[in-house]
Amino acid sequence: MRNDLAERRADEGSSQGELAEAVGVTRQTINAIERDRYDPSLELAFELAAHFGCHIEDIFHPALD
Amino acid sequence: MSTTNSGSGITRERYRRLVYGLVGLGIVGLAVGLVLDQPLAGTSAYLVGVWVGAAIAFGAPKWSDATLQDERDYERHDRASGLAMGVVMVLGIGLIPPLYLLDAGGHVVITETVGGLIAGASALYLLYGVCLGIVQRRTHA
Repeated sequence: MRNDLAERRADEGSSQGELAEAVGVTRQTINAIERDRYDPSLELAFELAAHFGCHIEDIFHPALD
Repeated sequence: MSTTNSGSGITRERYRRLVYGLVGLGIVGLAVGLVLDQPLAGTSAYLVGVWVGAAIAFGAPKWSDATLQDERDYERHDRASGLAMGVVMVLGIGLIPPLYLLDAGGHVVITETVGGLIAGASALYLLYGVCLGIVQRRTHA
Protein backbone atom coordinates (compact mmCIF):
# COMPACT_ATOMS: atom_id res chain seq x y z
CA MET A 1 0.00 0.00 0.00
CA ARG A 2 1.30 3.45 -0.92
CA ASN A 3 0.33 6.67 0.79
CA ASP A 4 0.92 10.40 0.78
CA LEU A 5 0.82 10.80 4.54
CA ALA A 6 4.21 12.54 4.69
CA GLU A 7 3.11 15.17 2.16
CA ARG A 8 -0.19 15.77 3.93
CA ARG A 9 1.55 16.06 7.26
CA ALA A 10 4.11 18.48 5.80
CA ASP A 11 1.30 20.59 4.32
CA GLU A 12 -0.32 20.65 7.72
CA GLY A 13 2.99 21.64 9.33
CA SER A 14 2.83 18.98 12.02
CA SER A 15 5.50 16.61 13.23
CA GLN A 16 5.21 12.83 13.23
CA GLY A 17 4.84 12.96 17.01
CA GLU A 18 2.00 15.50 16.80
CA LEU A 19 0.14 13.49 14.19
CA ALA A 20 0.70 10.32 16.20
CA GLU A 21 -0.70 11.97 19.31
CA ALA A 22 -3.72 13.22 17.37
CA VAL A 23 -4.65 9.74 16.12
CA GLY A 24 -3.56 7.80 19.22
CA VAL A 25 -0.57 5.82 18.02
CA THR A 26 3.19 6.04 18.50
CA ARG A 27 5.49 8.24 16.42
CA GLN A 28 7.24 5.09 15.19
CA THR A 29 3.99 3.85 13.67
CA ILE A 30 3.46 7.09 11.73
CA ASN A 31 7.07 6.86 10.55
CA ALA A 32 6.56 3.24 9.46
CA ILE A 33 3.38 4.14 7.53
CA GLU A 34 5.07 7.07 5.79
CA ARG A 35 7.93 4.80 4.72
CA ASP A 36 5.48 2.17 3.39
CA ARG A 37 6.74 -0.32 5.93
CA TYR A 38 3.45 -0.77 7.72
CA ASP A 39 -0.15 -0.87 6.51
CA PRO A 40 -2.41 0.59 9.19
CA SER A 41 -5.55 -1.08 10.44
CA LEU A 42 -8.85 0.06 8.97
CA GLU A 43 -9.57 1.82 12.25
CA LEU A 44 -6.34 3.83 12.10
CA ALA A 45 -6.84 4.55 8.39
CA PHE A 46 -10.25 6.03 9.24
CA GLU A 47 -8.67 8.06 12.06
CA LEU A 48 -6.07 9.46 9.66
CA ALA A 49 -8.68 10.24 7.01
CA ALA A 50 -10.84 12.00 9.59
CA HIS A 51 -7.81 13.96 10.81
CA PHE A 52 -7.03 15.23 7.31
CA GLY A 53 -10.71 15.67 6.41
CA CYS A 54 -10.65 13.33 3.43
CA HIS A 55 -11.44 9.75 2.43
CA ILE A 56 -9.17 6.78 3.11
CA GLU A 57 -8.58 6.26 -0.61
CA ASP A 58 -7.33 9.85 -0.91
CA ILE A 59 -4.43 8.96 1.38
CA PHE A 60 -3.84 5.27 0.65
CA HIS A 61 -3.43 3.74 -2.80
CA PRO A 62 -2.80 0.12 -3.74
CA ALA A 63 0.77 -0.55 -4.85
CA LEU A 64 0.24 -1.75 -8.42
CA ASP A 65 3.87 -2.40 -9.35
CA MET B 1 2.89 8.83 22.64
CA SER B 2 6.35 7.63 22.13
CA THR B 3 8.21 10.88 22.20
CA THR B 4 5.66 13.11 23.79
CA ASN B 5 5.71 13.60 27.50
CA SER B 6 2.31 13.32 29.05
CA GLY B 7 0.94 14.01 32.45
CA SER B 8 2.08 10.59 33.64
CA GLY B 9 5.69 11.54 32.79
CA ILE B 10 6.51 8.27 31.04
CA THR B 11 7.57 7.99 27.43
CA ARG B 12 7.67 4.91 25.23
CA GLU B 13 11.46 4.80 25.43
CA ARG B 14 11.46 5.16 29.21
CA TYR B 15 8.76 2.50 29.48
CA ARG B 16 10.77 0.03 27.41
CA ARG B 17 14.01 0.76 29.25
CA LEU B 18 12.25 0.34 32.59
CA VAL B 19 10.63 -3.00 31.69
CA TYR B 20 13.69 -4.52 30.01
CA GLY B 21 15.97 -3.08 32.71
CA LEU B 22 13.98 -4.58 35.58
CA VAL B 23 13.69 -7.99 33.93
CA GLY B 24 17.40 -7.86 33.05
CA LEU B 25 18.32 -6.96 36.62
CA GLY B 26 16.25 -9.86 37.88
CA ILE B 27 18.04 -12.29 35.56
CA VAL B 28 21.46 -10.88 36.48
CA GLY B 29 20.51 -11.08 40.15
CA LEU B 30 19.56 -14.73 39.75
CA ALA B 31 22.84 -15.52 37.99
CA VAL B 32 24.89 -13.67 40.61
CA GLY B 33 23.01 -15.47 43.37
CA LEU B 34 23.79 -18.82 41.77
CA VAL B 35 27.47 -17.98 41.25
CA LEU B 36 27.88 -16.70 44.82
CA ASP B 37 25.95 -19.66 46.22
CA GLN B 38 23.16 -17.38 47.48
CA PRO B 39 20.16 -18.99 45.79
CA LEU B 40 17.59 -17.35 48.07
CA ALA B 41 18.92 -13.83 47.43
CA GLY B 42 19.21 -14.58 43.71
CA THR B 43 15.69 -15.93 43.51
CA SER B 44 14.36 -12.93 45.43
CA ALA B 45 16.10 -10.53 43.05
CA TYR B 46 14.72 -12.47 40.09
CA LEU B 47 11.15 -12.53 41.39
CA VAL B 48 11.15 -8.82 42.27
CA GLY B 49 12.66 -7.83 38.91
CA VAL B 50 10.39 -9.99 36.80
CA TRP B 51 7.16 -9.33 38.72
CA VAL B 52 7.67 -5.58 38.97
CA GLY B 53 8.75 -5.51 35.31
CA ALA B 54 5.68 -7.48 34.28
CA ALA B 55 3.40 -5.25 36.38
CA ILE B 56 4.79 -2.16 34.65
CA ALA B 57 4.69 -3.85 31.21
CA PHE B 58 0.99 -4.65 31.53
CA GLY B 59 -0.08 -1.83 33.84
CA ALA B 60 1.64 1.26 32.41
CA PRO B 61 -0.24 1.23 29.07
CA LYS B 62 -3.49 1.23 31.06
CA TRP B 63 -2.74 3.98 33.57
CA SER B 64 -0.55 6.20 31.37
CA ASP B 65 -1.96 8.97 29.19
CA ALA B 66 0.89 8.36 26.75
CA THR B 67 0.59 5.83 23.93
CA LEU B 68 3.14 3.26 25.02
CA GLN B 69 1.93 0.49 22.71
CA ASP B 70 -0.23 0.56 19.64
CA GLU B 71 -1.62 -1.68 16.90
CA ARG B 72 1.79 -2.08 15.24
CA ASP B 73 3.27 -3.47 18.46
CA TYR B 74 0.35 -5.86 18.85
CA GLU B 75 0.70 -7.02 15.23
CA ARG B 76 4.42 -7.63 15.65
CA HIS B 77 3.73 -9.53 18.85
CA ASP B 78 1.12 -11.65 17.09
CA ARG B 79 3.51 -12.43 14.23
CA ALA B 80 6.38 -13.29 16.57
CA SER B 81 4.08 -15.53 18.63
CA GLY B 82 2.84 -17.28 15.49
CA LEU B 83 6.41 -17.76 14.26
CA ALA B 84 7.54 -19.14 17.62
CA MET B 85 4.63 -21.59 17.75
CA GLY B 86 5.34 -22.59 14.15
CA VAL B 87 8.99 -23.31 14.96
CA VAL B 88 7.99 -25.38 18.01
CA MET B 89 5.41 -27.27 15.91
CA VAL B 90 7.85 -28.06 13.08
CA LEU B 91 10.56 -29.14 15.51
CA GLY B 92 8.04 -31.13 17.54
CA ILE B 93 6.46 -32.96 14.62
CA GLY B 94 9.82 -33.45 12.92
CA LEU B 95 11.76 -34.71 15.91
CA ILE B 96 9.58 -36.11 18.68
CA PRO B 97 7.92 -39.11 16.94
CA PRO B 98 11.21 -40.34 15.36
CA LEU B 99 12.94 -39.86 18.69
CA TYR B 100 10.39 -42.07 20.47
CA LEU B 101 10.63 -44.68 17.70
CA LEU B 102 14.43 -44.76 17.97
CA ASP B 103 14.11 -44.93 21.75
CA ALA B 104 11.68 -47.87 21.47
CA GLY B 105 14.12 -49.61 19.12
CA GLY B 106 16.96 -49.11 21.57
CA HIS B 107 18.95 -46.90 19.21
CA VAL B 108 18.84 -43.78 21.37
CA VAL B 109 17.88 -43.02 24.95
CA ILE B 110 15.53 -40.15 25.75
CA THR B 111 17.22 -38.56 28.72
CA GLU B 112 15.41 -36.81 31.54
CA THR B 113 16.39 -33.44 30.10
CA VAL B 114 15.07 -34.25 26.62
CA GLY B 115 11.93 -35.72 28.17
CA GLY B 116 11.48 -32.48 30.11
CA LEU B 117 11.89 -30.45 26.94
CA ILE B 118 9.28 -32.59 25.16
CA ALA B 119 6.90 -32.23 28.09
CA GLY B 120 7.50 -28.46 28.12
CA ALA B 121 6.82 -28.14 24.40
CA SER B 122 3.67 -30.25 24.75
CA ALA B 123 2.47 -28.09 27.65
CA LEU B 124 3.15 -24.97 25.60
CA TYR B 125 1.01 -26.29 22.75
CA LEU B 126 -1.72 -27.32 25.14
CA LEU B 127 -1.75 -23.79 26.56
CA TYR B 128 -1.77 -22.39 23.02
CA GLY B 129 -4.79 -24.53 22.17
CA VAL B 130 -6.66 -23.33 25.25
CA CYS B 131 -5.80 -19.69 24.49
CA LEU B 132 -6.83 -20.14 20.85
CA GLY B 133 -10.17 -21.53 22.01
CA ILE B 134 -10.71 -18.55 24.33
CA VAL B 135 -9.83 -16.07 21.58
CA GLN B 136 -12.12 -17.85 19.09
CA ARG B 137 -15.00 -17.75 21.55
CA ARG B 138 -14.46 -14.05 22.18
CA THR B 139 -14.15 -13.08 18.54
CA HIS B 140 -17.11 -15.15 17.34
CA ALA B 141 -19.47 -14.25 20.13
